[in-house]
Amino acid sequence: MTGALVAEHLTKIIGKRTIVDDVSFDLRPGEVFGFLGPNGAGKTTTIRMLVGLIRPTRGAITVCGYDIRRHFEKAMRCIGCIVENPDLYRFMTGRENLEHFARMLGVGQSEIERVASLVNLAHRLDQRVGTYSLGMRQRLGIAQAMLGSPRVLILDEPANGLDPAGIREIRELLRNLAAEQGLAVFVSSHLLAEIELTADRVAIIHKGKILRSGTVRELISSQRAMEIRVGDVHRAAEVLRAKGIEVTLTDDTVLAPIEETQAPPLIAALTENGIDVYHARQRVQSLEEMFLDVTGGETVD
Amino acid sequence: MFLALIRNEILKLLRRKRFAIVVGIMLVILTLVSYSQYRQLREMKNANWRAELQERIARYENRLRRGRINESWARSMRAEVRRLQFYLDRGINPEQPTAPLVVRTFANAAGFLLLPLLIAVLGSDIVSAENAEGTDKLLLTRPVRRWKILSAKLVTLWLFASLTLFVGGALSYLVTAPVLPAGGWDAPTFNGFQLSGETFSVDHVRQLPLWQDALIAYGLEWYALLAVASISLMLSVMFKSSAASIGTMLASLIGGTILTRISPDWTAGKYLFVSALPLADYYTGQAPPYDGMSMTFCITLLGAWAVAALIAAYLLFTKRDVFG
Repeated sequence: MTGALVAEHLTKIIGKRTIVDDVSFDLRPGEVFGFLGPNGAGKTTTIRMLVGLIRPTRGAITVCGYDIRRHFEKAMRCIGCIVENPDLYRFMTGRENLEHFARMLGVGQSEIERVASLVNLAHRLDQRVGTYSLGMRQRLGIAQAMLGSPRVLILDEPANGLDPAGIREIRELLRNLAAEQGLAVFVSSHLLAEIELTADRVAIIHKGKILRSGTVRELISSQRAMEIRVGDVHRAAEVLRAKGIEVTLTDDTVLAPIEETQAPPLIAALTENGIDVYHARQRVQSLEEMFLDVTGGETVD
Repeated sequence: MFLALIRNEILKLLRRKRFAIVVGIMLVILTLVSYSQYRQLREMKNANWRAELQERIARYENRLRRGRINESWARSMRAEVRRLQFYLDRGINPEQPTAPLVVRTFANAAGFLLLPLLIAVLGSDIVSAENAEGTDKLLLTRPVRRWKILSAKLVTLWLFASLTLFVGGALSYLVTAPVLPAGGWDAPTFNGFQLSGETFSVDHVRQLPLWQDALIAYGLEWYALLAVASISLMLSVMFKSSAASIGTMLASLIGGTILTRISPDWTAGKYLFVSALPLADYYTGQAPPYDGMSMTFCITLLGAWAVAALIAAYLLFTKRDVFG
């Protein structure tokens, strides 16, 4: 596999508990990868393994072609990350924080100005981080992660605790970074709507295992259906089944797993048979519904 | 690169304002000391120091004769009697209050509890605080190996331990010089008293001017404090909270001292690091709590503790999984 970041068969066992179980995925340049799962599914443990905070029991992580265990420094130079909360040094100013991490990377003042303007923080940079709002700390965290122009950006729950405007701002920033600078962006979240809007590809993790993965479009289109409200559902079902379409019924609608383009002749067939058609629309199962479907609606504590 | 890491650590330590607190604490204590010394000086103007010293020796001897004090105390009291007598015989007042003597005494008095505690305060911040504030996640995900980060922290802590001792010495002069005689660096001192078992030997006693004696005492104290700093780094790596790491240091200093003083029969106590900690005291001629604790033994013991603590700290820091 080639990719900006490749995780193969990641497994973490603590005591007798398997927290992450054989998780594999790869991040490609220029795309946002969504990592979706309920709290306690193993998202944060996986992220901590990706950035070298936790040693996997089994499996390997390669970043920009470097194995994270054998070439830690080279691999980490390729990654910028925020793990859980954007915890920066509250007793220092934003600029001092950036200078602190810039020194660890060996990059200069111009880089600090660059990342500060990237996240629109230049005007508050000389105030103590303790006085920042959560949104500003989140942005400072991203600025910090962008120091040294990494190829991979890993963000753990970046939307956590932000107001709607802040969430949108972060989302646009991430989309731009991927589209314009070709970054591979990894975003974890337990908010489906958020991932649906932000990510190109998604992996769904539950109880430490990846249950499903693919592009957002693939996952959604596999769940497409036409929802048709009719006067007599049983006769409508007969007509459609006669045309070889498996339908499911509710009180007043039939649900047919077909594309929108296939719909007009079927509707015509229904009216020809004297069935009243009140309403027809394409139903897209949201990630949320699919997620509940896949995980069986279970939550983990 | 490594210098940049050290610069980061120094910046953080100063920004947390802990060192300012440390200097503040020393300033308050030294001001009190200087005031009490000043009062003592005024009272002694008319008194005869020989008579006072004789009286003190007599008091110690009386208590020794009455018995009923524990062997560890008795030993150190006997040693103190012989030491004072040695000065008295040569017509030298060992406690003539001058600013240089306060500087010299600071090494002994503060070296045993105050300075180790202050260093534990500085040390606990250097790793525990990063854990507690969550900043370790950023620090350890940068392209710098963990052992380098810990080394930068260790060097910084050693630097500030040295600075604490130096500032303490300098402050004790600056605070007392206005009220006590500022000179007296040449006053004669005796050292090299040896105590083994029941014999108190003066065969190796040398006479040194106070400034030289002070330099040796500060050198020993510096060594002891570097060992304390290393141990406190280990505690800081071990505990997630600053309070736990300061608390453990405090408990081992006080608990260890009490233990060695109340149960002198438990000879394994001589391998505790607190037994060897007051190097400056032993150099001056005070009796260690156990038999067979020569200066070489104490220095080796402290060194061994420091090395063991550092090995544990590095292993733990570089190998462990960092959870939330």
